[in-house]
Parts: sequence; structure tokens; C-alpha cells
Amino acid sequence: MNPGTALAVSGPAGNTPQAGADLLRIVRINEEIKTVVRVAFKINIMALNAIFLAKRAGTAALGFGVLSNELRIFSQDLRESMDVLTSLIHGCVNDVSLVLQDSRHTRLLRQAVAQSSDQRLNRVLMAKDAENERHVEHLGSLRKQLGRALDDAARLVELGGVLAKSAKIEAAYGQTFAAALTQVSADFDGVVEEIRSSLESLRRSTFFRGN
Amino acid sequence: MKTTKTIFQDGNHKWVAIVRDPEKQNYLIDTNEYLVTHGSQGILLDPGGAEIFPAVFSALASEFDPGALTAVFASHQDPDICSSLALWLEFNPKMRCYVSWLWGSFIPHFGGTQQTFVNLPDEGADIPLEGLTLKAVPAHYLHSSGNFHLYDSVAKVLFSGDVGAALLPPGEDGLFVTNFDAHIRHAEGFHKRWMGSNEAKRRWCERVAQMEIDMLCPQHGAIYQGADVQRFISWFDELQVGVCGG
Ligand SMILES: [Fe+2]
Ligand SMILES: [Fe+2]
Repeated sequence: MNPGTALAVSGPAGNTPQAGADLLRIVRINEEIKTVVRVAFKINIMALNAIFLAKRAGTAALGFGVLSNELRIFSQDLRESMDVLTSLIHGCVNDVSLVLQDSRHTRLLRQAVAQSSDQRLNRVLMAKDAENERHVEHLGSLRKQLGRALDDAARLVELGGVLAKSAKIEAAYGQTFAAALTQVSADFDGVVEEIRSSLESLRRSTFFRGN
Repeated sequence: MKTTKTIFQDGNHKWVAIVRDPEKQNYLIDTNEYLVTHGSQGILLDPGGAEIFPAVFSALASEFDPGALTAVFASHQDPDICSSLALWLEFNPKMRCYVSWLWGSFIPHFGGTQQTFVNLPDEGADIPLEGLTLKAVPAHYLHSSGNFHLYDSVAKVLFSGDVGAALLPPGEDGLFVTNFDAHIRHAEGFHKRWMGSNEAKRRWCERVAQMEIDMLCPQHGAIYQGADVQRFISWFDELQVGVCGG
């Protein structure tokens, strides 16, 4: 539990509002991940075209060719990194659904305990509470893993940014192909920037401020 | 909390109706649950929706040890019939659920595992309860396509699920039908709209007309007893069902 956040709650039975809000946040994170995957695919195609262009430019664009190849590898790494995020997101959806279901069942069991004198039901409720706590903790650990995976993705994108900037410099040595290579490297820079801003907005999601 | 009313008793062989919760929210349809006990065991018929679990559990516990409840019988798959299943299983994970084979893989969406369900074949089956044999009587398409009623030939009681159901206005919600003609007006619209097959209805009427029934207990509304049982069967036999204004 994290008592410092506005959304933190006192126990599993009170988790419904946060779980409902979490589900919405997860959906938004997932949409952003889909955007990054689309952009990663775009970089892959762009890098392939750049490799062909560099081949045509010959020795003047050797450095550019190497960087294009690196950018292609970057797009594949980015794709893998998004796959990790997606599977963590699926885990979060599962856990949030369990927390939502727990919350309803706990509410009904609590009402039944209040209305009945059967002590065994109280034990069922306590076991249910403990189970709910486990689900909340598991969600908390997935939340942290997702945060770390996003940090990893952000570092990867930093590398992509460096590659795109280096490609810009290499383009200047492209002689008669310089203009075309400069255009391609500017495009690289643009799409990497697009990914960077997507990831930044993901990292700012209030989902990571939950417990 | 709901109230309990013992409608049949012979030693520890009992039928207990669990009915009428004054605290129930109006947007939930009112339901009757029935507990049948024999020896030290009990079976709960149409245990009800999840939202009314607290009211049903506490009423039942006031009358019978819920730990001795070995099974539930679900006449069909509707949420008002058995969406409380997961909660009953929290209390007793070994509890079984008798239900039409048609719904054996649908109801687990409410709760339960493969071990929970005893699939009833279309022709019906005997359901044992510590020396007593209850009969699952086919009532398919009334209204659900896989639908059973439960007959106790010793108590001469037929639990009839949604057949015989009435949506009673406040002030006219007695447990037993006392004025058939007045009562049946509250049942007519329900039967015309919810029951889908005249052929199935005819077969059900022929079947139950041959059974000895002192009480016909629906899942909604009031219980028919004595001559009102036959009156109901004749009324239903003549009613055209599967009627929709749309
Ligand atoms: Fe129904
Ligand atoms: Fe019903």
C-alpha cells in the first residue's frame, strides 16, 4: 500500500475505484504501445530503403549504410521491447480483473457475515481478504516490472536517437547523394522523436503511481 | 434479510421456502429459493443471484447448517437462478451443482470447476439426498432450452422454476395463492412472453398432470397448493405462449 497517493486505499475490499481507473489507464498505455509498434515497423522499412540508397551511393555512404543497418536492428529491438510491455500489460489486465471481482465478492461476503452468525463464513471472508491482498500485491509487482520495462525501452530509444543524429552527420559526406541521405536521416530523427514522446507520456501515466 | 417458511415437514425431511426480502433493491427481480433437507443433508434449489447471496445465506443459516448443504440445483442458466454460485463455493468448494448438460460449460462463467457440475441429460435424472430420491423433471423451453424442474414424490412438491411465476405487486405478495383468478393475472404476461414453445408447454402439462402434486413452487411469486395446482396446469395448457408485441 502507498498511503502517499490520492488513489491509495486502505484494503482490498476498497480497491474497486482504483481498479476501475487502472483498467482505463492500462487501455491507454496499450494504445500508446500499439503506436510505438507501428512506428517501429515504419523505421524497419525506412532503414531497409536507406540501406539500398547507401549501396547506390557507394563508398561515399559507407558510414551511412552501417548506421542504417544499426537502425534496422534498433527497430527490431524496439519491437521485442514492446512485446515484453504487451505481455506485462496483459498480466495487469488479468490482475485488475481479479481485483475487481474480489472486490464484489468480498463486499457480498462481508454483508453475509454481518447478517449471519455463522463463524465459518467469517473465516471464509478472512481467507478471501488474504487472497485479495495477494492479488493486489501481484498487481503491484507487475506495475513495477512494467515501469522498469518502460525505462529499458526509453534507454533503447536514446540509442536510436544517437544513431539518427549520427546518420545526419554521415549524410553530409554523401557527395551527390548528400541531399537524399540528409532527407532520410531527418526522417529517422523525426520518427525516433515520435517514439520518445510516446514513451515519455507512458512513463508519466498515473498507473505507475498506484500501489 | 429474507424470511424462511417451512412448507413441508416430516421429521428431518423438509421443504423450506426462502422468500421476500424487504431490504431488496427494486431493480432486482424478487426470487424464491427452496431448501430441501433429508437426513443430515440439504440441497438448495435455484440459489439466486450474487447480489442476494447475503440475504439468502443468512436466512438459510437461521434454519439449517449451511455446511451440510451438499448441492445446488439450477433449473436453468439465468443470472437470477445461479449467479451466486461462486459465493456458495467460497463457503463450500465441494458443493455440486446439478444443471442441464446444455449449460454445463456456460454456468462455470459464474463460478465452479469441472468437479462442481453434474450435467443432467435431457430425459432427466434422479438426484439422491441421503436416502431420498428427488427427480429432475424435463421442462425444456420453459423458458430456457435446457430446463428442469425438481419433483419430490414423498413430499408431493414440484419446484417449477419460472413456470407458475408471477410478478406480484406490493401488498399482494403472500407466499401462497389464495385467490387463483386474481393471482393468475400477475402470471399471464410473464408466461406469454417468457415461455417460447406451445408444444413444449403441452408436453409439460401432460407430464405433470399425471404426477401427484400438493404444492407447485415457482421461483417467482406465490406457491400453488391443493386444487390450485391443477387449476394452474389447465390454465397454462390453454394459454398461447411465445407471444410478443414487437
Ligand atoms: Fe429464467
Ligand atoms: Fe427466474
